[in-house]
Amino acid sequence: MTDVLISAEGLAAGYGSPIVTDVSFSVRGGEILALIGPNGGGKSTTLRTLAGELKRLGGRVVICGEDAELLPPRERAKRLASMLTDRPHADKMTCRDMVETGRYPYTGWFGLLSPEDKRAAHEAMRLVGVDGLAERNFSAVSDGQRQRVLLARAICQQPEALVLDEPTSYLDIRHKLAFLEILRRLAGERGVAVVVSMHELDLAEKTADRVLCVKDGRVTRAGTPAEIFTEPVIRELFDLPEELYRRYIGK
Amino acid sequence: MSLRGAKNAAAFAALAAAAVLCLGLNVFTGSADIPFFEAAKGLAGGGPACDIIWKIRLPRALAALLLGGALSLSGYLLQTLFHNPIAGPFVLGISSGAKLTVALLLTAAASVGTGLSSASMIGAAFAGSMLSLGLILLISRRVGQVSLLVVCGVMIGYICSAATDIAVAFADDADIVNLRGWALGSFSGIDMDSVAVMAVVVPAASLCVLLLAKPIGAYRLGEGFARGSGVRVTLLRAALITLSGLLSACVTAFAGPISFVGIAAPHLVRALLGTSEPLALIPACFLGGGIFCSACDLIARTAFAPSELGVSAVTAVFGAPVVIAIMLRRKRGGAV
Repeated sequence: MTDVLISAEGLAAGYGSPIVTDVSFSVRGGEILALIGPNGGGKSTTLRTLAGELKRLGGRVVICGEDAELLPPRERAKRLASMLTDRPHADKMTCRDMVETGRYPYTGWFGLLSPEDKRAAHEAMRLVGVDGLAERNFSAVSDGQRQRVLLARAICQQPEALVLDEPTSYLDIRHKLAFLEILRRLAGERGVAVVVSMHELDLAEKTADRVLCVKDGRVTRAGTPAEIFTEPVIRELFDLPEELYRRYIGK
Repeated sequence: MSLRGAKNAAAFAALAAAAVLCLGLNVFTGSADIPFFEAAKGLAGGGPACDIIWKIRLPRALAALLLGGALSLSGYLLQTLFHNPIAGPFVLGISSGAKLTVALLLTAAASVGTGLSSASMIGAAFAGSMLSLGLILLISRRVGQVSLLVVCGVMIGYICSAATDIAVAFADDADIVNLRGWALGSFSGIDMDSVAVMAVVVPAASLCVLLLAKPIGAYRLGEGFARGSGVRVTLLRAALITLSGLLSACVTAFAGPISFVGIAAPHLVRALLGTSEPLALIPACFLGGGIFCSACDLIARTAFAPSELGVSAVTAVFGAPVVIAIMLRRKRGGAV
């Protein structure tokens, strides 16, 4: 059994006042945890707090055995990388420039890249298949390419844990599958702990090792895909009438 | 990489050459018709032109270069802070805030009959800059759109200018002449003592900016990205605010409010270098701002010699179209 790399203990998160409360889970190296649930339920708020963009309002986030809030920011960035829904301001930046910004926690005072930083960035780009885009303007690439470049940025940060907020929304099915395949390889081959929110239930079922249902600001259920992706659980989670569920989701 | 490096080196060489050229033109031309050799002799410390060169032209030329650089960097920092290329000390009302506090201090000092040190002028301008910037930051919490923020900044600018006019109305006649010229923005009348002060403050602040190149580089992507990279965002924002306020305060204290350099110069330099990498942009912005201001001052001094234009009028003529161009391009790109 590998170690728990990221966990939440009774986490409360929100903007000033809590939007989600009492979120608890733990993810081991090599595992993928999927957060599913209706819009506005609190998935993004939870992920932003895990990523350190929002201050927690209660409970703890533990990264590699240490309280995230007590870790120096740079140390934290070496252990956890995130890819949330914000688009970066990327004026006059190539895709390579964008990926290389992932090396921030490792570079010196002026942020100059060592040969090893360059190599790590190149390798991350090759892993996600965007090495051909290296010199292209980041603002000019397609949605699918942009998401993969941002994933390469997170990968070259060489984190132990990866937090992603709806990374596959707006991608066509081929790009969705390619993206999820990379996530699986990251977890399987490199032992990265992945926490990802998704709206595509069919894909979440096949990607995740475990699933967390988030609704109305709390975790309503947690379990394996086999336990979660059943008619009663999904219908309750999304308030789906039986007829709609049967027509569009049921077997 | 090497291609980009070579391109950068060429761009920097061009900027440095242009800065030297502007400095030379400002020293060797002017309303007093001094032949080149006389002027050169004056610069070396001899001949009848010595006084004009050392007491009038050289301090003014150096001030234009240094303060232009300071304005441009101040604008660059504000653009980084607000993630928007049309932010600048003038349009956000920061220069006008500084103008108001300096005018108040000047009239107060004149009424009790004392002179003012450079330090107290910069201090007053810094306080005014921080007040305006603080107000803008408060508004920015409620208003997400930068275009609205700029409108608020322009309004703050008008209010401060009106208040300055009222303060000037209460000043004695002899002081008003000085104050009026200064309130329009001008490099005239700057002496070597003032240049000595700015030659310490401006390079020191600029060096601090350069030392922050790495976190600025992460922050330019967005606050969330910076936080995720391990930047202490609150600290960085405080540093950006303080340094941009100090740089623009230094300009306003010595030369009054000067328009649009803070937006136009960084934009032109970004286009020239083709990068948004701070380590290259910060020194280039400084040089670009210096060149822009020097060239505009050259025009202000010589276009209708012997009468002189306000340098802010000239910078507006060349700077405002750049701002319009930026907004049109962003509109086409779909993001403002």
